Amino acid sequence: MGPTMRSLVLAELSKLRSLPEAAIAAVATVLLGSTIAAALAANDRNAYAGPVDAVLASVPFVQLGIILLGILSAAHEYAGGQIHTSLAAAPNRMRFLAAKSAAVALVVSFVSTLTVGAGLMVAAITRPSQSAMAASGGAVPSMLVGAVLYLALIGLLAFAVAILVRHLAPALVVMLVLVLIASPLVGAASEHARWLPDRAGGLLYLPDTDAVLSVATGAAVLLGWVVATWAAAAATFAARDA
Amino acid sequence: MRIGNYFLAEVGKSATLPAGWAGMAVALLGSLAITVLNAFAVRHAAVDGTPEMVAGTSAFEAGFAAMPIVGVVAAVVIGVTTIGSEYTADRAESGGARQITASLAAAPHRLSMFSAKALVVICFIVVAAAVAIPGNIALSQAIIGDVGTETVSTADAVGRSLGTTLYWVLMGLLAFSITALARSGVVPLIVLIANGSVVSFSLLLTLVTPLAHWLPDMAGRQLFGFPSELVVEGGLAPVPGAIVMAGWTVVMLVVSGIVFHRRDA
Repeated sequence: MGPTMRSLVLAELSKLRSLPEAAIAAVATVLLGSTIAAALAANDRNAYAGPVDAVLASVPFVQLGIILLGILSAAHEYAGGQIHTSLAAAPNRMRFLAAKSAAVALVVSFVSTLTVGAGLMVAAITRPSQSAMAASGGAVPSMLVGAVLYLALIGLLAFAVAILVRHLAPALVVMLVLVLIASPLVGAASEHARWLPDRAGGLLYLPDTDAVLSVATGAAVLLGWVVATWAAAAATFAARDA
Repeated sequence: MRIGNYFLAEVGKSATLPAGWAGMAVALLGSLAITVLNAFAVRHAAVDGTPEMVAGTSAFEAGFAAMPIVGVVAAVVIGVTTIGSEYTADRAESGGARQITASLAAAPHRLSMFSAKALVVICFIVVAAAVAIPGNIALSQAIIGDVGTETVSTADAVGRSLGTTLYWVLMGLLAFSITALARSGVVPLIVLIANGSVVSFSLLLTLVTPLAHWLPDMAGRQLFGFPSELVVEGGLAPVPGAIVMAGWTVVMLVVSGIVFHRRDA
């Protein structure tokens, strides 16, 4: 008779709440997103027509903070020997990982929502008054929901990668290279770049359209990446020594 | 021969770090993959008579395209791991110690050790550049062969390769100094890798103020020598840009060296 699922999730949330690096990463993400959205909205070159566009344009930067948050949530268990204590308290590894994943999903969704909401607020305040609220340049508010969903899924992907490689720096480099480096370079050379997680998921919040993927299938591709990486992480986590 | 011994010791440490080799491998294999993709796209376009499908049919450009971005990642990873590894805490049950305390006990002259580490960063990046840049260009030429039209003269190609190597070295040293100051690689990894990509904080700042063109990564970017129609306009010319970037690097190295010398490890 082990601990209940509810208490496991609460325990994981408590760990994340009391982890200074995670708190700093969360606050920094919100501040970074708000600053960039405000700067883009206030920019008089008019490349960003309305507050919604400014927030959406800040998402590629915000994802860096969310990725760090997802990785920290997993990597801190391995920074010392905490994983041994955690598994002594919750010996069923699959339940432990499921609870941890649920906690991380809650936290990254919360921080993503907060960042997008705060960004929208400051963008609406700093936007030059002469441009009308209606001129939102083709971006519709429902894309904001897509942006939150995209950020949450990218955060979970980062978490799964970190569980797989068990160290902060390599997980960070893998995610940053995947999202920042591979995507534009492969995109310039091959149309198959659309299957990369950030490209497929980008359809959730970018005005671009794709010849093969729609918003829903793009989101499904990103979800597929998350599920596949998580499954690989779960299989190795169950099989190997902690 | 104290400096020599310090240097050899640091070479040994860095060469036995898996993270450094992983970074190097990612950079080399990644640029290889991009070059193969690019070169075959160029070759097909040239053979099919549809050169308008690609930016140009130059074998040099096809092989060089990945260099600025992928190489900068390798340089940043090398710079960060060389000093960041010293500050990584061991597992709690084996004492939770950091390597830096053992290193300084064995090699107490801090400035010599710091200089030796910076020298190791330079050497590793120059070796990576010497393998990656000519290697990718040769691969691209082998794939494209005679069907493309070379638009870059040999003198330009050599100049741009050397400029790119200089940019990598300066970027690696910047990453090294920031990591030494922060005693953690997280911030330099995120900021410098992001700045090397299209999601660049510096590029974003240039929208707010033209002064951002004087930031190190923006100042040096003309060293890659891409045709002006392919890059964001504005900014400094290659030589003044390189001087500004080198100036930043020297200042950061001096500041982090002083801090490394004076502060408790």
